[in-house]
Amino acid sequence: MDLDLFIRYGPALLSGFGVTILCWLVGSVGGLVLGFVLACFYRWGAAPLRWLISAYVEIIRGTPFMIQLFILYYGGPYVGLILSPLQAGILSFIIYGSPYFAEIFRGGFNAIPVGQIEAARCVGLSEMRILRRIILPQMLVPITAPLTNFFIILTKETAILSVVTVPELLYETQTMAAETFTYVEPFLVLSVFYWLMVLATSWLGGRVEARVTRHLKRV
Amino acid sequence: MSETTAKPTAPSEPIITVRGMSKYFDDFEALRDVSLDINRSEVLCLIGPSGSGKSTLLRCLNFLEAYDGGEVRLEGELIGWREGVSNPRKPVGAKTLRDQRQHIGMVFQQFNLWPHLTALENVAEALVQVKGMSKAAAHEKARAALAKVNLSDKTANYPANLSGGQQQRVAIARAIAMEPTVMLFDEPTSALDPELVGEVLAVMKEMAAEGMTMVVVTHEMGFAAHVADRVAFLDSGRLVACVPPADIFGREPDDPRIRSFLQTYRERNVV
Repeated sequence: MDLDLFIRYGPALLSGFGVTILCWLVGSVGGLVLGFVLACFYRWGAAPLRWLISAYVEIIRGTPFMIQLFILYYGGPYVGLILSPLQAGILSFIIYGSPYFAEIFRGGFNAIPVGQIEAARCVGLSEMRILRRIILPQMLVPITAPLTNFFIILTKETAILSVVTVPELLYETQTMAAETFTYVEPFLVLSVFYWLMVLATSWLGGRVEARVTRHLKRV
Repeated sequence: MSETTAKPTAPSEPIITVRGMSKYFDDFEALRDVSLDINRSEVLCLIGPSGSGKSTLLRCLNFLEAYDGGEVRLEGELIGWREGVSNPRKPVGAKTLRDQRQHIGMVFQQFNLWPHLTALENVAEALVQVKGMSKAAAHEKARAALAKVNLSDKTANYPANLSGGQQQRVAIARAIAMEPTVMLFDEPTSALDPELVGEVLAVMKEMAAEGMTMVVVTHEMGFAAHVADRVAFLDSGRLVACVPPADIFGREPDDPRIRSFLQTYRERNVV
């Protein structure tokens, strides 16, 4: 293992790691928010809106992320949407993740027994308050694990952004490998970086789960 | 056997009037032309075979189910539907419906407590979120309501750490804390182990004695016989009788449907 190489390429790798984290955080949190909005419209919206959302979910889930990215980045200019690689990367990441998040939230909504919502209506709670005070805190219990899971999956999906030259971790690693003809060490380092993200995510997920399941403990 | 509940006053002033109510679930006729009055401070028990429409009738009273025909009025105010709008009827706005429901407390068979909140928080929730009380005032009021149902020592418990009977009493406290005009009970003891039924019925008897207007769907014939002022018998969505309990339990009822219904209870009680 040639340490010299890592001193030379270290800054580039770290910068790639930073870009990966940026894309992952902004992209997945954006997808989470969009997914939540979609799930809410699906639950409370009119029938035509539900059909539109269903179609959106099916199309995005049914096509590969790389193709969506290509269409947005290379096809965008044809309709006047000119994006930098980073912008296209993050935007496509948000779009790609949103239907999966929407489905997780939809399942979470369904997990709340209808009787609890009726009880809330009977004491005069508004639908908005029911969502905020009764549904949301409870649906965190069944959805925290799948959310954590999907955040973890998304850490590694960021690698696909390298195909439109987003200077993220894989892109920098490939550059290093190509320029130095070393392959094993750079990719080992890359794996460690992803693994750190996964580790942090699952640790955080565990903390959230412990917090939201407090009321289920029997004393 | 012959315990009587003394009431402060029992004037026969209708607080709820139901007129010609009908309800369909698709093609199924759940209620047909039901009319009855519920008087202030009265305890009305709804009995009948399963599927006879008791719970549906109860749930129409606070518009958890939208009744199709007829009307329900609480102190003169039409519940759920817009006054004077017909063909087709239009439901009242969300805000109006919430205001109407605040006056109608409801207790469910499955308790329906919110499991992520403690007993105290379950009771205080609507006081803060609906009545706009401060947290401190709401908690004080919630404590008083829980004391009424003999649960002063369980205020900090989550529902998972309460027995079924305790959960149902919290649910009753949650409803009475809102100071409703009338209380609806939908088979409040049907999900309870037999030894826990008594503690819930005791609380309900006490409420009745204090003059709360109560409509109770129940299979507890003892409660209907001794606490109710009137008993309404439903069969296939029709109101067959609405009479003092003595007319059903004190002598052989005239209507064959009531006779055969009561027969099944008699058979089960003879061990």
